[in-house]
Amino acid sequence: MRSLTRIWALAAKEVRHVLRDPRSLYLALGMPVVMLLLFGYGVSFDLDGLPLAFVDLDQSQTSRELRQRFTSGPEFVDGGLIDEDEAEGRLVSGRAMAVIVIEHGFERHLRRGEDAHLQVLIDGSDNNGATQTRAKTEMMGRIFGFQAATRVVSASGSAIEARTWTRFNPESRSAVFLVPGITAYVLAIVAVLLTALTVAREWERGSMAQLFATPVGRLEIVIGKLIPYMVVGTLAVLLVLGVGMWVFDMPFRGSPLALAVLSVLFLAGMLGQGLFISVLTRNQMVATQAATMSSMLPSMLLSGFVFPIENMPQVLQYITVVVPARYFVEGLRGVLLRGNGLEELWPNALALLAFALLMMVLSTARFRRTIA
Amino acid sequence: MSAVVIEDLHRDYAEVHAVRGVSLAIEPGELYGLVGPDGAGKSTTIGCLAGLMHPTSGSVRILGEDPMGRRSTAREHLGLMPQEYSLYGDLTIAENLWFFGQLFGLKKKVFMERRERLLGITRLGRFEDRRADALSGGMYKKLALSCALLHQPQVLLLDEPTNGVDPVSRRELWALIYEFVADGMAVLLSTPYMDEASRCHRVGLMHEGHIIAEGAPGDLTDGLEHEVAEVIGGDRATLHGFLEGRDELVAASPAGERLRVIIKPGGSATLDAALAPLGASLRRVPPDFEDLFLARVAA
Repeated sequence: MRSLTRIWALAAKEVRHVLRDPRSLYLALGMPVVMLLLFGYGVSFDLDGLPLAFVDLDQSQTSRELRQRFTSGPEFVDGGLIDEDEAEGRLVSGRAMAVIVIEHGFERHLRRGEDAHLQVLIDGSDNNGATQTRAKTEMMGRIFGFQAATRVVSASGSAIEARTWTRFNPESRSAVFLVPGITAYVLAIVAVLLTALTVAREWERGSMAQLFATPVGRLEIVIGKLIPYMVVGTLAVLLVLGVGMWVFDMPFRGSPLALAVLSVLFLAGMLGQGLFISVLTRNQMVATQAATMSSMLPSMLLSGFVFPIENMPQVLQYITVVVPARYFVEGLRGVLLRGNGLEELWPNALALLAFALLMMVLSTARFRRTIA
Repeated sequence: MSAVVIEDLHRDYAEVHAVRGVSLAIEPGELYGLVGPDGAGKSTTIGCLAGLMHPTSGSVRILGEDPMGRRSTAREHLGLMPQEYSLYGDLTIAENLWFFGQLFGLKKKVFMERRERLLGITRLGRFEDRRADALSGGMYKKLALSCALLHQPQVLLLDEPTNGVDPVSRRELWALIYEFVADGMAVLLSTPYMDEASRCHRVGLMHEGHIIAEGAPGDLTDGLEHEVAEVIGGDRATLHGFLEGRDELVAASPAGERLRVIIKPGGSATLDAALAPLGASLRRVPPDFEDLFLARVAA
């Protein structure tokens, strides 16, 4: 009972600190929105209007059709017909993202049902663009070949239509894919920073000595400091998701309960990580550095936000197992895009819970009640 | 039972031996002054008593309990006013009081009564909505003392409470302390000001980690075997040079127009005789705490 009173007093005091100096509120609520807008508008992995040049060595009806087919979508624009020896120059000067070389006998080979070859030269200096261009051209080439072949074989002309279908994000829009990642990323930074500063601040202004001379316990301090920032963090989650849905048409197909559980657990873990840093460093400068590095890098690089975890080297894949942002990003995508609920996402919730508990235990255990 | 007991306390920081074997006991209703210059080990002693540092060796007991003990209730009965600013500067007087009242689990009615009483004595009532970092040094110290007194601790530790406080506020602080001592509180207070020693019931003179003299202030100065005198007459500059090399002297310091000298036991006759040719003579004065400290440190 008295313990609850003390936790309540600590939480209320913390709220007063925040309200007296609302800069931390601006940080907590403003930064996520600004970053979401920056990332959402600025970062796009979508292929859009990339110039494609053609070297047509076949000069046939089919080759002309192929060229027309490639450039009819929004991804590529026709960069024109060029000679074979110009290809290199086009790529070097950046006037073409890729050059498609249609070999001699392309049409003839197709007609006979033999292998017909396309050579695709891609500017690999933009890795993401190159990967996507390759995938796209490969797919289009295959469809074209398939259609051409069936047209020859079946006289009825009822060609089989090949269509790819991207589930859950039909237009393959980057923003929709990015919002869950950004949410996890900015929340991680903000949450860790918020608490990293608060305990260090008590050390720096000398109030820790006064606090330690009272019957207040370490766990009480930890919980009392977590509660108010939990509220601030929850507001930040709602704000970011709200902006994501409103500005970027982010869908919300899954269970709100799952979203709430995952968010609260993720926040608790991140706030706990901040507390742990604060307890260890006792210094706001060092705490800020440690908080930024330890939250930003893993949640950006190892969460699957930008780089798919399956594509990482095996060692890094193992490391991601202890990155909480990974489970949150996965969970958010599950809830928002795939329409998942806790039935599918309970392992993620469990992982986040484990991390949160670990951080609280560590912070309390490393919390020294001594000033020297 | 003594309220505070320290036995052979030692505390080292890396290379520095801050406290080297301090023992003392304080009874309920007693005001004990730990008097000594900066770096004597006063704050370290208080830190160990408040359970903020582990002793290197020796023991401290608050009401018979180890303040560091896991199940210790010592902190419930302990009030601490640290030397540094340690309240929340961005909270008001009222909010700081409320916070510490809650930490000690005071019931609302009790809290309000004590709050009114403390705000009344300290005359801080008019400023209760002022932020702590906007208070003058004296007002801040009065608030810090009030926060430490809210739960009416049986043991109160005050680390240099009057440091940087104007004389008027200083008197108010002392008045507040006396009021609670009269109710049976045991108070340990540290101060670098020798003149404040006489305000305590009992004093421990602290120097380089040791208590070099302990007792009631009057007894300590009365018991000084050294003689203290003022040098009357003679030329100031000449006297300075002359006194410099005298073995009888412990210390000489200007006191207004005159020189104040502390003379080793039995040295006053020879010194007086030696001063006569210079047209100067000694006039005995009662020793004060500074004399006592200088005499003890020299010994």
